[in-house]
Amino acid sequence: MIFPFTAIVGQEEMKLGLILNVINPSIGGLLIMGEKGTAKSTAVRALAELLPEIETVKGCPFNCDPDGPLCTGCRETLEKECRLERERKKMKVVELPLGVTEDRLIGTLDIEHAIKKGEKRFEPGILAGANRNFLYVDEVNLLEDHIVDLLLDSAAMGVNTVEREGVSFTHPARFILVGTMNPEEGDLRPQLLDRFGLCVHVGSIADKAERVEILRRKAAFDADPEKFTAEWQPEQDMLSKRIGAAKKRLGHIRPSDTVLEDIVSITASLDLDGHRADIVLMKAAMTLAAFRSAGKDENKDTRLMGDLSYAASTITNDDIRKVAGLALSHRMKRLPFEEMGMDMRRLEAALSMGFSHDVQ
Amino acid sequence: MTFSDFVGHEDAKLALVLNAIDPGCGGVLFTGERGGGKSTLSRLFKKILPEDTPFIELPLNVTEDALLGGIDIEETIKAGRRVFQPGILSRADHGVVYVDDINLLSLEMLSLVLEVSGLGENIIEREGIAFRHTSRFILVATMNEEEGVLSPHLLDRFGMMVLCEGLEDVRQRIEIMKTAAPEVFGPPSFGQGDHELSERIRSCRLFLKDVTIPVETMGYIVQMCIEANLAGSRGDICLMYASRAHAAYRGSMEVTRDDVDAVAPLVLAHRKRASQQQQQQGRQRQEQQQSDRQAGRDGRREPQEQTGSEGHEGQGQQHGAQPGDERPAPDEFRSDRDGGEPSSNEENGQQREAGGKEEVFDIGASFRTKRMMFRKDRINRLESGRRTKTGSRDKSGRYIKGIQRKRDDIAIDATLRAAAPYQKARGRTGMVLIHDDDLRFKQREKKMGHLVVFVVDGSGSMGARRRMVETKGAVQSLLMDCYQKRDRVSMIVFRRDRAEVVLPPTSSVELASKRLKEIPVGGKTPLTAGLMETYRLIKRVTARSPETRVIGVLITDGRANQGLSDAPIDQEIEKMTRLLSGLRSADYIVVDTEDQAGFFRTGLARKIASRLDADYHTIDGLKSGCLFEMVRMKKTEGIGI
Repeated sequence: MIFPFTAIVGQEEMKLGLILNVINPSIGGLLIMGEKGTAKSTAVRALAELLPEIETVKGCPFNCDPDGPLCTGCRETLEKECRLERERKKMKVVELPLGVTEDRLIGTLDIEHAIKKGEKRFEPGILAGANRNFLYVDEVNLLEDHIVDLLLDSAAMGVNTVEREGVSFTHPARFILVGTMNPEEGDLRPQLLDRFGLCVHVGSIADKAERVEILRRKAAFDADPEKFTAEWQPEQDMLSKRIGAAKKRLGHIRPSDTVLEDIVSITASLDLDGHRADIVLMKAAMTLAAFRSAGKDENKDTRLMGDLSYAASTITNDDIRKVAGLALSHRMKRLPFEEMGMDMRRLEAALSMGFSHDVQ
Repeated sequence: MTFSDFVGHEDAKLALVLNAIDPGCGGVLFTGERGGGKSTLSRLFKKILPEDTPFIELPLNVTEDALLGGIDIEETIKAGRRVFQPGILSRADHGVVYVDDINLLSLEMLSLVLEVSGLGENIIEREGIAFRHTSRFILVATMNEEEGVLSPHLLDRFGMMVLCEGLEDVRQRIEIMKTAAPEVFGPPSFGQGDHELSERIRSCRLFLKDVTIPVETMGYIVQMCIEANLAGSRGDICLMYASRAHAAYRGSMEVTRDDVDAVAPLVLAHRKRASQQQQQQGRQRQEQQQSDRQAGRDGRREPQEQTGSEGHEGQGQQHGAQPGDERPAPDEFRSDRDGGEPSSNEENGQQREAGGKEEVFDIGASFRTKRMMFRKDRINRLESGRRTKTGSRDKSGRYIKGIQRKRDDIAIDATLRAAAPYQKARGRTGMVLIHDDDLRFKQREKKMGHLVVFVVDGSGSMGARRRMVETKGAVQSLLMDCYQKRDRVSMIVFRRDRAEVVLPPTSSVELASKRLKEIPVGGKTPLTAGLMETYRLIKRVTARSPETRVIGVLITDGRANQGLSDAPIDQEIEKMTRLLSGLRSADYIVVDTEDQAGFFRTGLARKIASRLDADYHTIDGLKSGCLFEMVRMKKTEGIGI
């Protein structure tokens, strides 16, 4: 049994970061920084319950999107049979263990088949299952360097190309990378850091009442997981529904030029590297707007949902403010090894400079 | 998205177009910060090439046989004779090979790619196969310098290099956001521009051979290369072909000076070497900056990008990111602790020494240091990191090729290739029959890090003349280097009556930086205690993992005045240095913090350096253009097998 996502006390930023990625995978993942015992792993594992279904090619180990880029296998099938069978699968959280070897990560020559039959066949690795799913790396900063290289390579290309050991195989590898790390145990390479769309810092909860609540729920869950899960089911269903509604709304949100200008003026004042910050901030703000307005529907009459007017789904300054920390804190050009606190002050200064417009 | 819709970076686009017109231009390397659009642009390149042009993305996981070609296991078993399976490079003939993050590619694969690219031919002599095929391709690659740089001779193999930084213009940035999310904003155009460009390239290719290069223009090219102080003539040749392609692109049948001027920044930027005179000037400029800073704003932490002036002069101007360009640090980041005049600081320093008062100094400006590097050594190690390439002994590291030497890490593909030709002869019916001498083992490669131990003098004399600020700046710079190389670091501070390990070996350079900031200064100089502690630390570390290489960085003015015993300090130092230099796994660097212009120079630190057989540097000497290796492998003889 997995502890229900909605029963996690506090850590709102982390939960928001995960939810935004479920609604809009193109945001590009989440890095969770913080000490041990701050519900990092619990939250990521619990996320699995809330994930929507995706349409895939039936039986494809790479979860190919029948209407998207295909793996070598599906391409051959399509050429031969001119059609691909479809099936619906729930999205998954695939874990990448720290000790992973490169052949397990990217796939390799199927040794057994080669020896028994004398034929070459590709044996899929972890990246295969991760396509269009969440790829979760606990303690991502402890991952071996050459594994990180390979991970970066596929993350950048959205494709895993294997050219080794006599096999040549290509399959799409668009995964949502979720990592956790304790910064005191070592740094993360800047390039890998930049690959995470969003980043949150989690700390221990200081509020006494909240800490008591954590204990209470933990005890209740351990005592009778089934009962506890059943109790939280309505909450879980509500969130799933809201995520589904937000996904639909997202397609109707188009940021105005004023919003884009505001985003650029924020990132420009922080002197960030490259354009990824602009793009991620825009996508995160759009997604938050979708999620926020999907929440409003819920409180009203659910029967009205569906073809509602989407007028409410404009991006507000608050949306941008709320996700700016998530999208930018890890991209701030820190003067070598400057503390995080300094960053946050600069970020606040940039956000308080005000927006050119005032949408409520 | 289309090539023509790509916003900005006109020079990068020009470089690709010129290579498309004439592959003789020698390929392009895009460098620059992450998220600047290097990879995006590179992938769009295929849209302006003729339809059937191969475009091969070279994955970092590539092994030697997959790159160059080798025995086809399946076919060979069936046929009972060797059947050749072509590698990636055979597919790339007359096309493009694209390598994302080329600086992360295994060094061995990288040199193979560059070799074939240079020859235009792939020659295979392995596993009983002799085979050769033409392999002419345009090499396009990206590199993020934060993750380490290619050596100058590898850089030279690229015809052109272009710096791709993020754009600053608000309009352009908004355009980029829109093109990056076509699902929201719709496609910006329908590829019309690409079609036209592709047609233009096709027609340029047709008359390229007829474009003439007047002798006068050739003279201009050569003159330009001489002025840039290029090594060899690869630069001259690239500049010539690039200029010709540019003329063709303009529709001109003759290459003019303007063509040369237009392409020179692309070709010369990464090849330019500072002549001796320029280096001299550079040093003077640095010193000037240094004294400027001392006069005014000592505590600022703005990193200086002095090495930038080496490589990117051409682009620097276009992007407004002038090398050595110093933005004044905003007031709020400036430390207000040490705004005082140098003279008053000196006074403070003297007081401190006398009264044993303590003070914590800010970290001085950091800079890029010279490279610390060891030669690739032949021992297989278990450590991982990025400073030195090494064969790896456990099963981690990148598998690069199969070899015949015995180990426990079987390379099944290579083994099968070795066994394949004999299957018929051995009478295979079901399973593949593998004999002992078919067995091949994996050769892996990974980069090895080091433990860098900083041994910092925290005595009162370091407070004088703001020495500690500079020292911290120097250590900070070395830390940045350690970070890039994935070294572990440790820090020992000696002051008052003892030495203390303020930071046990850790891979968190961030933590080291924090400790660095906290180092207090004051009291006497127990140098020998510092050396003793260093010795103990190295002993401890190497006892646990004997393969660790240690670099001890001793930062002091050498004026020891507090001993461990009643013996004369000089004797103690001699004893300690002898112990330290007897450690086979360690090398040393001594950074002398004594004021080199000062009246009372003692040269004590230099003496210690020679006793330790260490590289000796003054703080100013560390601030180099990263041209020379700061540490050379000294004790290979003792360690190599």
